[in-house]
Amino acid sequence: MSKGLEFSKKTKERLQAIVAKYPEKGAALLPTLWLAQREFSAITPEVEEYVAGLLGLSLVRVHEALSFYTMYTPQPLGKYHIQLCTNISCSLLGAEELLAYLKKRLNIEAGETTPDKKFTLSTVECLGYCGTAPVMRLNETFYENLTENGIDQILRKLP
Amino acid sequence: MPTLVIDDQKVTVDPGTTIIQAAKKLDITIPHYCYHPRLKSVDMCRMCLVEVKDIPKLQTACSTQVRDNMVVFTNNQKVLDARRSVLEFLLINHPLDCPICDKAGECMLQDFYFQFSRHTSKFKEKKQKKHKVVNLGPKIVLDSERCILCARCVRFLKEVVGTEELGIFDRGDHSEIGIYPGRPLENNYQGNLADVCPVGALTAKDFRFACRSWFLCQENSICPGCSTGCNVLVHSSERSYDKTLRRVYRLTPRDNDEVNQSWLCDVGRYGYHFVDDPDRLTAPSLKRGEEYVKVDWDTAFREVAQRLRGIFERYSPSSLGIIPSPQLTNEDLYMVKKFFNETLCITNIDFKLPGWNQGQGDGFLLKADRNPNTMGAELLGLSGIGPQAGEIIEKTRLGEIKALYLVGSDPARYLGEEKIASALSRAQLVVFQGSNYNYACKFAHAILPGATFVEKEGTFTNAQARVQKINQALRPLGESLPDWKIILGLALTMGYYFPYKAAEDIFKDIAREVTGFSGLDYKKVGDKGIKLALSGG
Repeated sequence: MSKGLEFSKKTKERLQAIVAKYPEKGAALLPTLWLAQREFSAITPEVEEYVAGLLGLSLVRVHEALSFYTMYTPQPLGKYHIQLCTNISCSLLGAEELLAYLKKRLNIEAGETTPDKKFTLSTVECLGYCGTAPVMRLNETFYENLTENGIDQILRKLP
Repeated sequence: MPTLVIDDQKVTVDPGTTIIQAAKKLDITIPHYCYHPRLKSVDMCRMCLVEVKDIPKLQTACSTQVRDNMVVFTNNQKVLDARRSVLEFLLINHPLDCPICDKAGECMLQDFYFQFSRHTSKFKEKKQKKHKVVNLGPKIVLDSERCILCARCVRFLKEVVGTEELGIFDRGDHSEIGIYPGRPLENNYQGNLADVCPVGALTAKDFRFACRSWFLCQENSICPGCSTGCNVLVHSSERSYDKTLRRVYRLTPRDNDEVNQSWLCDVGRYGYHFVDDPDRLTAPSLKRGEEYVKVDWDTAFREVAQRLRGIFERYSPSSLGIIPSPQLTNEDLYMVKKFFNETLCITNIDFKLPGWNQGQGDGFLLKADRNPNTMGAELLGLSGIGPQAGEIIEKTRLGEIKALYLVGSDPARYLGEEKIASALSRAQLVVFQGSNYNYACKFAHAILPGATFVEKEGTFTNAQARVQKINQALRPLGESLPDWKIILGLALTMGYYFPYKAAEDIFKDIAREVTGFSGLDYKKVGDKGIKLALSGG
């Protein structure tokens, strides 16, 4: 098991509750990775090893799941993770321009993190808010009917 | 027990049998990729789809269990159409590199395309690019573009070896087989990956670009790598393709439920190179001063016979020592015993050099005893007659033994060069009979070249007392001869006649004389061997 890496007491309790729901430990892989990403901010190789140890899985099994799903991140993200939808509805209503605006404003490309580790910009497929496109997600919060002005206001309010 | 009809033929099988297994009983082969009889079925490739009467959609034969009165069609138009479509999908991104692919000629994708599809590609888009020549470890190379993602390799390492070193990473058409980054394959069973791979994705470095598969001859044999005696096929060719002297190109496992299932360990699989090694002894030679002179067999026999007789006359049988090797066949060992012990009354005869059985076993196929015929040597009585092999060497060092005859054994490997030098340099006569040069040859007055396991017929008795047959795949290299023939020749020169024309004749005598072997012959031993009836064992 990796040195130094360990879930907090609270997370351990949550893990226990999750594992208890499944007939076998290994089945709890996805929620455990999710807990780990929150706790350690990224699924680094050390985290993979820690999770594999916790659930009694091989490293390869953990890595398979990690590489299959896009919402696990192997690199630490910025404090604010902006996920801009660029699927059909959003694109029709100006997502491409908004993407260009965000890139210019944050001075990074999609998939990158600002040097001060504050923002990570990602483009994503449909977030399920086509009726109020264009949409972006900032950490856990969704913002609808976006405009350049709206983005400015949202970002300005951030601590 | 359910009775069903497959392609108009009735068959009764055990409950729980799958359609593919039931069809096999009727000698109907249902084409498949991901299905492997020794692995769990996963329905991944869709190649084995068959029609079952009254079920609207086609079913996978590898996982659908039979029911009573089931009616299955494995070859009607609906099934053939589906098979063709599956092949079309599997080949969408497949590169056209069959001309340089090592699997060409033994590739299930090639064969089934030819047999069932022969479609012209409708795919106009760009082919998916994937990693090529990926090093998975010291022995295996992956070409992801050729991979059809059947996961046989992944499942083999999970279910059989238990190391889980391979996985399928990424998703959709990006999916690729791979190792965890920075953790190459380390297990002792990697060689099987190239065998289980139905296409050209996994290839063995040992065989890559060495020979086209259709130039290889195959012969049933037994792996000489340890006392498990895995059943193998020797793939050989007398034409050299890679500008080396190579004649054996690979060993692959041969099915035997009682011994090795369908597998072979890497120690055994890649242990065959000594057969074509430049250190092979190819002509009888005699020491003249400091030089070795190549001679014909008659000259060699005459000289060895004369010198042995000289020592006999001057001293007694106890001044001679014989160390045979448990690498020899039952037939070779029987000749050693028959001639040296029973005819010449030499009792300093033993095969157990200290440490002879102390390799590293792995609890699966590989045994600590790296000799294929220890049990045979034991049963034929090549130990326990007089002093142990280590003592024979010691007695040679003390000058009590004047002549030492090594048959296939390599005492320096176990006792170290120093000890062998101090013992063998004191002997008046050292005869080395064997296939490859080793340290003891330095002290030999006569070197008699023996054939290797692929160059002769005979039997080995494995650790479970199973007698198994090795067959001759190649002519003995140079002038080398099967060990039993060398002893026969020497005996004849010394005036003793043994009426053996072939290894089989010797085996008949073994069956007559040796406990456990009674009633056996090569026919009964067959391709899969036969367990000896030993009391208490």
